[in-house]
Amino acid sequence: MTESGLTVIGANGVAIPEGTHGDAGFRTYEVFQRERVGQSTAKIKPAQLVSREFADDPYPLLAILRENYPCYRDWLNNCFWITRYNDVTSVFTDDANFETRPKAWRLGIEGFGRDLRAALPVLTAQADAWDANCRRLAEAAIADFARRGEADLATEFAARLNMQLWLAMLDVPAETAPQVAALLWRLHRGVSWDPHVRLEGMAAADELATELAPLLEVRRQAPGSDLISAVAGLELADGPAQPKDLVATLLEMDFETLHGALANLWLALLSRAEEFDKVRGDSRYVKLAVLEAFRHSTPVIAAPRFARHEVERFGRLIPKGGLLLCSAAAANRDPRIFADPDRFIAGRKDICHREARGQYRADGLAMGITPGLGPPTMHPAVPEDRPRSLYALTRDALVTASTALLEALDDMALADEAKPPSAICRRLGEMHACWHLPVRFRAR
Amino acid sequence: MATGCPFALDIFAEPKDRAEDPGAQFDFPLMPEGQAYDMGHAPDGTPLFDPRILQSAEFFRNPYPYYRILRDHYPVYHDRLHNTYYVTRYEDITRCYFDDEGFNTIPKGSSSGVLGNTQLELSGVEHRRRRNLYGQHLVGQSLKNRIPAIQRQAREMIEAWDGINDTSVVSVADGVRTVELGMAFANEFPIRVVCEVLGFPKEAQDDFYYWYNSMMSGLGGSETHQQGLEARQHLEDYVEGIVEARRKQPTYLYDEAGNPISKDIISKLCETKVDGDYLSTEEITSNIALVVGGGGETTRGAILNMWYLLLQNPEQFEAVRNDDSLWDAAFHETLRHSSSIGGQPRHNTYDVVMHGVRVPAGSLMEMVDFSANHDERVFKDPETFNIFRDDLYTGKILRSGYNKNGRRNHMAFGVGPHLCPGAWISHQEAVEGSRILLKYLKNPRINTERMPKDVDGVSLKPLGIVSVRELHLDYDLA
Repeated sequence: MTESGLTVIGANGVAIPEGTHGDAGFRTYEVFQRERVGQSTAKIKPAQLVSREFADDPYPLLAILRENYPCYRDWLNNCFWITRYNDVTSVFTDDANFETRPKAWRLGIEGFGRDLRAALPVLTAQADAWDANCRRLAEAAIADFARRGEADLATEFAARLNMQLWLAMLDVPAETAPQVAALLWRLHRGVSWDPHVRLEGMAAADELATELAPLLEVRRQAPGSDLISAVAGLELADGPAQPKDLVATLLEMDFETLHGALANLWLALLSRAEEFDKVRGDSRYVKLAVLEAFRHSTPVIAAPRFARHEVERFGRLIPKGGLLLCSAAAANRDPRIFADPDRFIAGRKDICHREARGQYRADGLAMGITPGLGPPTMHPAVPEDRPRSLYALTRDALVTASTALLEALDDMALADEAKPPSAICRRLGEMHACWHLPVRFRAR
Repeated sequence: MATGCPFALDIFAEPKDRAEDPGAQFDFPLMPEGQAYDMGHAPDGTPLFDPRILQSAEFFRNPYPYYRILRDHYPVYHDRLHNTYYVTRYEDITRCYFDDEGFNTIPKGSSSGVLGNTQLELSGVEHRRRRNLYGQHLVGQSLKNRIPAIQRQAREMIEAWDGINDTSVVSVADGVRTVELGMAFANEFPIRVVCEVLGFPKEAQDDFYYWYNSMMSGLGGSETHQQGLEARQHLEDYVEGIVEARRKQPTYLYDEAGNPISKDIISKLCETKVDGDYLSTEEITSNIALVVGGGGETTRGAILNMWYLLLQNPEQFEAVRNDDSLWDAAFHETLRHSSSIGGQPRHNTYDVVMHGVRVPAGSLMEMVDFSANHDERVFKDPETFNIFRDDLYTGKILRSGYNKNGRRNHMAFGVGPHLCPGAWISHQEAVEGSRILLKYLKNPRINTERMPKDVDGVSLKPLGIVSVRELHLDYDLA
């Protein structure tokens, strides 16, 4: 049942791992003593962190953690909450001590297929597809609702654009697009604690592999510029890519940030006349508003990292295998980093205008952390032969889509000022986003 | 609403009942005892298991049908909400308990915050050494020496009932006395015993109740953690003075005739050396905190559960009344059927694969003793209380466990290196205390009117995963 590689010493049969004091290990009294006196849970109850209240609006509770318990030991949910900006980024960038487990593990289909995201043709295919199609698809979506004078921007624009960009990236034929879209949605939503949606996600992985298998074969013979062709054409050491590899790759890709951040951006703008006026008056502000949306209302509010081995950080002993929930939402509103952090300010002075790269923050400023887009790269410059970062790609898609909206519609306003929409997690652990954003407007 | 993208709205639609509850505090309906709420099924018919049930009121009163689902379908269940793996079958738990290296108790930590540095978080030789510091005083001849003191405490408490004026605890009408056995006996009896064997002065008993209640309900993860820490600090402040005094002048336990039997545990700890040096006051406090925590609630629950279950099964009660030696079987069957400790956490030192589930090294694995004790692979008809069952070992508690002639040990004390060091004294307290109780109680029966009721307002509240909190008994005075 176990593999140990131990050297047995002593007549009493006690085994100590060879050459280490660690793995099977013994604690010093000292560490526990510090833990015991170091922290109480008086200001928060762990049950609150899995409550409806938290799912609806996590920010007040995260602020309690950040300001009182920056490394909060949550016994109920068996994790540590990391909530200060510099702590979160330090864990994100510290691959020596911490790891991100693949979504396939979280979904329960570990070993389903190979994750090929890092292959250059795959990266390029995504960047090319988004650049080529974003404006066109945004305009098509707008055209569908423009004449109505009203629309739900969350579903008819943000969610739809994200999905159609994915379909364009895969170059899925129109007749199978609805089916593939539904499978992609179920697949990604399945990364959850909820057994119902997880089961759907696991089933979707199989169905999607079946659905995409013929396309993979066709594109192997006659490649196009899409992502399936890129995967099909990869020369891999252990054989050509299979349909399950394609699905495993799609599973690990970010599916939430474009959708969630676009909805949250427009919720923020339409709820704040002053900021909306800035954006309407000067197109330069669109990008700044997007960066601020990443910071102010990031859709992925926390990302799990696991300790590779026992490590002392933040004054605590983190055991091997310990789960650190690194909360981007809390970090992005850390007053140590951002002035007046709860305010949405398009063009704030203390935000980095590009992906701040790990510990090498280009201009000394911080950015809005978006865990869905992966950790900031440690390297100060992207190699020239690679497409721009996922952060930049997503930012540009948001700018393009929002610009198209601003150009097509006038007098945009919330449909019902009396009942303003808000961002929520529909299910605990799902993205924190505005799921319905009814607006009225006048088409130009 | 036309979208031009027909899938968009369909796939965002949520089933209404679930969409209304995004959090983890779902109010599961309360089911008839023994029946599980239907949490849905996989296409192949496998029942689904919603991890939110583990924190629900329904689960606390009616856990066993849910454990059965886990045992039958998810013997190693990965709870992704609480980042925990649950191991629920008897055989698996036994193997893990004996593999102290592969399934270590460190860093459990949820108890260390309150209890301090105890051997609970240690493994291997380090664990054995510290456990033996005080564990040796709770077994064998040391324990035998303490039995007269246990019996005396029981008698003193029962004989004091005449002087209790609180009618919610003791009342008399028409030649029938009604006692609430918790308040009148079981809550305090183990505390008195522990106080005595530790060597606490009598006046410490009131504080003792506060310490153990607050510390046990204030372990990590609870909402009363702060109170637990405060109680622990209070205990530490108190013990410091005692320890200083005992270091200079040890104190003793005495037998009925007033002869010294042995030093009390604190006095023994004061002269104990580890690695060539005496234990620090903090180390002694931690050991005491563990005895305080472990020596109260569990025995209280065992006594109340045993009396409740026996009186619910009058023919078994009658058999015990006629044969004094059956108390041992009654005690063990009670702990198998409804113990006070649900399980023990372990961390796997290495990656392991159990029942096809890969558990990454360092994961929290809860060994669910409750479920092991109701594993039908080991105990026939496990939900039935039966002191005569032929598959339960009811002899002397063994660290090695027991598996002979179709009989197995129950798991209430665990098994292997971390077997509860208080198991033997707990056994003696419950059995000796009950023997003496029986001498005083003529024709005892449960006063169902006064007992807490289940949700239907009629039937008695199920035991669930908490022990009986109050037990109202009637007995004849003449």
